[in-house]
Amino acid sequence: MKIKYAIIFVLVVVLIGAGVGLKMFFKPHADISKLKSEFKVEANGLIGEFEQDENAATTKYSEKVLEITGKLASKNKLQNGTDLLMMEDEMQGISCQLDSSWAATNQATIEALETGSSVTVKGICKGYLMEIKVSPAVVVK
Amino acid sequence: MLKNLFILILLGASVGVFGQSKFISKNAYISFYSSTPLEDILGESNEAVTILNAETGEIGFQALMTTFHFKRALMEEHFNENYMESTKFPKAKFNGKIEGFNKDMLNAPVADIKITGLLNVHGVEKTITVPGTLGIENGKLVGTSKFKVTPEDYGIIIPAIVRDKIGKEMEITVKTTYLPFGQ
Repeated sequence: MKIKYAIIFVLVVVLIGAGVGLKMFFKPHADISKLKSEFKVEANGLIGEFEQDENAATTKYSEKVLEITGKLASKNKLQNGTDLLMMEDEMQGISCQLDSSWAATNQATIEALETGSSVTVKGICKGYLMEIKVSPAVVVK
Repeated sequence: MLKNLFILILLGASVGVFGQSKFISKNAYISFYSSTPLEDILGESNEAVTILNAETGEIGFQALMTTFHFKRALMEEHFNENYMESTKFPKAKFNGKIEGFNKDMLNAPVADIKITGLLNVHGVEKTITVPGTLGIENGKLVGTSKFKVTPEDYGIIIPAIVRDKIGKEMEITVKTTYLPFGQ
């Protein structure tokens, strides 16, 4: 009788373990539109920080959720269909690759964006490579 | 510092003299792929930066490790935290030269090339020679490359428990469309 309970106990433990493992394995990517931004910054200020001390700025912002406001310099689509917004400067500004599932349901918002006007995006900062890379990102306004 | 500035000015001047002497892409595609019995592992980035010097055939690539995107969040986490140590080594770099380069290659149809250079991944630098293609496709200068690397060569330690389940070599694919750069 005791053995029976022991077997059941072991089985339950194994099942819970497997459940937790599977849940971790299938954990979905974080939904950027629902994440809270850790920093709210002006595009020019952010570019300035990276230009002044790339390492310090990378440590401060890399993999963090940023809300950035600045001038939309250009709006493009990459070959794979990803929407790409450039802020402040087309060459050395802030590159924001929009989240594909967000973009799929918000094409009207993207189309309404005008180059030269102010835009606010929220996204994960990846660091600096000729420009500041932010991806995935969503348009806040 | 002053010397660097001087070099920069020189570089700028030479670009001015020869016109379009550099090609660039800030959204080059790099992927790495490995097949496992459980599931294929594919990491992709559309955010690599590459510059091709049209005078010398020198070619440079840089990618931020954190821009590699995986199907599963857990894979991305393991890639950055356990294997690439992206906080310590945020960038992968390649600096090389196209073998037997001449300027006509930039205006010809796509042809096979060979590139030799230094690949720096995970803080370890190695000389590699890789095959590729370069040439005009649909009116644009396009470059590709496909080659294999062994993680252990770059000091990337994969735990024994999963090591024999992952292919010994990872396949790297590079695709880029270059645009003329600099006046």
